[in-house]
Amino acid sequence: MLSPPSPRKPLLIAAVLGAALIVSGCTVANSEYVTGGGAGGLRIVLPEEPPTLEACQSSLTSTGVVLRSNITEPLVERDADTGELAPKLATAWEQTSDDTWTFTLRKGVTFTDGTPFDADAAAFTIDRAVNSDLGCEVEGYVFGDTDLDVKAVDATTLTVTTPEPDPILPLRLSFVEMVSTKTSTTEKVRVPIGTGPYEVADWQSGQRLSLEANPNYWGGRPGYQSVNYVWRAEGSVRAAMVTNGEADIATSLAPEDGAGELAVAYRNNETTALRIQADQPPLDDIRVRQAINYVVDRNTLVKTLFENLATPAGELIPEGIVGYNPDEKVWPYDPAKARELVAQAKADGVPVDTQIRLIARTGQFPRIAETIEVIQSELAKAGLNVKIQMMDTNTQLTYQIRPFPEDTGPYLLMIMHGNQAGDAAFTLDQYMLREGYQSSWGTEEFDASIRDAEELKGDERQAAFEKLWPYEQEKVVQYAYIAHMSAILARSASVSYQPDSATGDEMRLAEMSPVS
Amino acid sequence: MTGFLRRRAITSLLPLVAVLLGVFFLARLTGDPANLYLPVSATPEQRQQFIEQNGLDDSVWAQMGDYLWGILHLDFGESLRTGESAATMALRAFPATLQLAFSTMLIAVVGAVIIGSWAAYRPNSIADRISSFLSMTAASVPDFWFAIIGVWIFAVGLGWLPTSGVTGGMASWVLPVATLVIRPLGVLTQVVRGAMVSALSAPYVRLARSKGAGDLRVVTHHALRNAAAPALTVAGDLMVGLVNGAVVVETIFGWPGIGKLMIDSILGRDFAVLQACVLLTAVSIFVLNILIDIGYALLDARVREKVSA
Repeated sequence: MLSPPSPRKPLLIAAVLGAALIVSGCTVANSEYVTGGGAGGLRIVLPEEPPTLEACQSSLTSTGVVLRSNITEPLVERDADTGELAPKLATAWEQTSDDTWTFTLRKGVTFTDGTPFDADAAAFTIDRAVNSDLGCEVEGYVFGDTDLDVKAVDATTLTVTTPEPDPILPLRLSFVEMVSTKTSTTEKVRVPIGTGPYEVADWQSGQRLSLEANPNYWGGRPGYQSVNYVWRAEGSVRAAMVTNGEADIATSLAPEDGAGELAVAYRNNETTALRIQADQPPLDDIRVRQAINYVVDRNTLVKTLFENLATPAGELIPEGIVGYNPDEKVWPYDPAKARELVAQAKADGVPVDTQIRLIARTGQFPRIAETIEVIQSELAKAGLNVKIQMMDTNTQLTYQIRPFPEDTGPYLLMIMHGNQAGDAAFTLDQYMLREGYQSSWGTEEFDASIRDAEELKGDERQAAFEKLWPYEQEKVVQYAYIAHMSAILARSASVSYQPDSATGDEMRLAEMSPVS
Repeated sequence: MTGFLRRRAITSLLPLVAVLLGVFFLARLTGDPANLYLPVSATPEQRQQFIEQNGLDDSVWAQMGDYLWGILHLDFGESLRTGESAATMALRAFPATLQLAFSTMLIAVVGAVIIGSWAAYRPNSIADRISSFLSMTAASVPDFWFAIIGVWIFAVGLGWLPTSGVTGGMASWVLPVATLVIRPLGVLTQVVRGAMVSALSAPYVRLARSKGAGDLRVVTHHALRNAAAPALTVAGDLMVGLVNGAVVVETIFGWPGIGKLMIDSILGRDFAVLQACVLLTAVSIFVLNILIDIGYALLDARVREKVSA
C-alpha cells in the first residue's frame, strides 16, 4: 500500500486560500473608516438606523434620538427632571391673549447653511411642519388637525394663534425643530439644516452616521468634536461593543445583555398596562375587569422578571409628568377575591368561559414573552380562559389604534405608553376618553372631567388631573396598570453622561463630555 | 451555448414572474402600513391622505399594474421608511451579502474537498472524525448561538476581533464568515466524502493506480473530478441560500446586507423595498443556476453534449 499524503500540505493550501479570499473580499463592503473615532470622537451604538433625519419627523424615536437638540433645536425645550420649559431658540414667551402666544427669539443665531434664524424662519418651520400637506409625524403627534396661525411681527418676535385657547402651546412647540428657510416645502428631506451644536458630516447608509461640531454654534462648544453613530439590532452585541471598547454609549439594553458594571439604569417614562377591550362580553362586566386587576401580581413581576428596575403602577403616567398622582394606589394581589368576582358574574349570566385573547407585541420590552405567560397563568387562576397571541408591530397596532378590527371577540392588549410630552393631556386624550384613538371604553362623566381638567393651568391643572386616576380605577377600569419601567444604557468609563427620562427620545450630545 | 442560455432564460422567466406576483400579493395580505407610519393620534383624514399619497387606496390589481409598469421602466418605487429609491437601497445592500456568500462558499468548498477527500481516503482517521464532528455540529447548533458565543469569546473575552460591523478592516470578516461557513462546510464535507468513497473504489481508479499514478494524483485527478458533480449540486443549493441573505448573521453583526433589509422591509410593510430585494435576489439566483449548469458542462462531457446541442 502507498502511504497517505502528508496532511500538512492541503491544510496549508486551505489556510492560504482562505486568507487570500478574505483579503480579496474586503474591498466592496468594507470602508476605510474604523469605528475608532479617534481623539475627540464619541461613538454611540443604537438599536436601529434612523430611517430619516427629517426634522418634522422628530417625534419618531429612532429619528429624534439623533436629531433633537443635536442637529436641530426647538424654540423651547422641556427639562426632563423638573418638567419646566427652558429657553432654547426663544428666550421668552408669554400668552398675550386667550388664543395667542408671543415668543421672543434669540438674536445672532444662524443655520449651518449660513441663513439667519429669525421670526421668518420660525414661522416657515412651523408652517411647514404643522400646516402643510407633508404629513409630518410631529403634526399628528402634537397638533392633531389643528392648524396654527403663525406671524413674524419683527425679526425676533413671533406670534402663534390657535383656534381654541391652548394653555400648553409652548410645550407642543417644543416638538417642532427649527430648519432653514431653504428646506423644501413640497417634500421631506433626509438631512436637515439646523442650528444645533452638531451638523451631519457623513451618512453611509446601513453602516454609520457621523456628526461634526458646528463651528458657528451660538452656545458653548460641545465636549466632543465628532460623534459617530452605528447600529446593531442585537442587544448583547451593543453591550459587548462598550465592554470591548468599540463604542462609548450603547442604548436600549436588557438586564441580560451583559453590560456588567458599565450598565446605567434610568427611569424612562414608559408605563406598561393591559388594556381591557371593555366593549365586548365578558369584559364589559366591571367585575371581570376588577378580577383581572386582582390577579396581575405586579410586585412579583417587578421583583423577578423586571429585576427591580421597575415599580408597580396604579396609573398610566410616571412621576415627573404633569398630572401624576403621587398617592398612587396599586391594586392588591388577591386571587381569591378575583375568583369570587368571576363567579358572581357567571351567576348573573355573564359568559365568563368565552375565550379571551391576550395580545402582545414581539420585542415590546425585555422579557415580554415571559411576562405574558405569567399573566396568562394568573388569569387562569381567576377562572378566565385566556389564549396568548404574539404579533409583530404592524399587526398589533391594528388592535391598539382605532378603528379597531371588527368581530375580534374579547381581547386584552399589552401596551407600553411613554408620555414624551410631559403633560397628562397627551395620555388622557388617547387612552382615557371614550372615543380616544387608543381607548375602547369610558363614561360620559369621566370624559367631562378630563375635558374640564385640560382647560386649567398650573396647580389647578395638576390637582384636577390627580383626581382622574383613582376615578378610573373605581368607576371605569379599562386598564390593569402593571409597572413604570426603566431603561438601561451602557456607558464607557471615559464618558461623563447622566441619562434622564427623556434620553430614549432625545439624547443630548452637548451633555456628554470626556472624563478628565 | 447561446441556444442553451436562451432556453434557460425563457424557462426561468415563468418562476420569476410567479415569485414577483406572489410576493406582491402576500405582502399586501399583511395589512396596510398606515398605523406604522402615522402617529397614533393621526386623524382619519390624515390616515386617508397617507393611503392616497401612497396609492394604497387603488385596487390590488391597479397597484399591481402600476408596479409591473414601473419595473418595465426600471422604476421600483420609493421606500416608505426612508423616502429613498427602493432600487438604490437594494443595490446598496446586495454587494455586502454577495461578498459574504462568496467568501463563505469558497472556504466551505475548499475545506470540504480537502477534509472530505482525506476522510474518504482514510476512514476513521482524524480527518474522518473532523468531518463527522463538523456535520453533526452544523446540523444541530443554530447559527445565532455560534455568532453570540463567537462574539463573547473572541471579541469580549480574548479581544482578538471586533464584535461586529464592516468598518473594522479584515478582522471584522472573521466572525461573520466563520459563523456562516459551519453549515455549508459540514454538509459539503459529507457529500464529498460519500462521493469520494464510491469514486475511489471505481475501476478507473484501480486502473490509474495499476499504471503507477501516485496517491495525490489519483485523488485529485481521477477520483475528485468524478466526485465533483454531486458536490456541485449541493454547493449550488447552499449558495442560493446564502445569496438570499444571511439574516441572522447580518442582524447580529450589523452587516448591511440584503437579508436584514428584507426583514426590516417586511416588519415595516415597506412593500417597494421588499419587492426590489426579491427581484434582485431572484435574478441573481437565476444567473447562479446558469453558472452551475455551465459548471456541470465543464465537469461532465455527457452534459456538455446536451448543452451544445
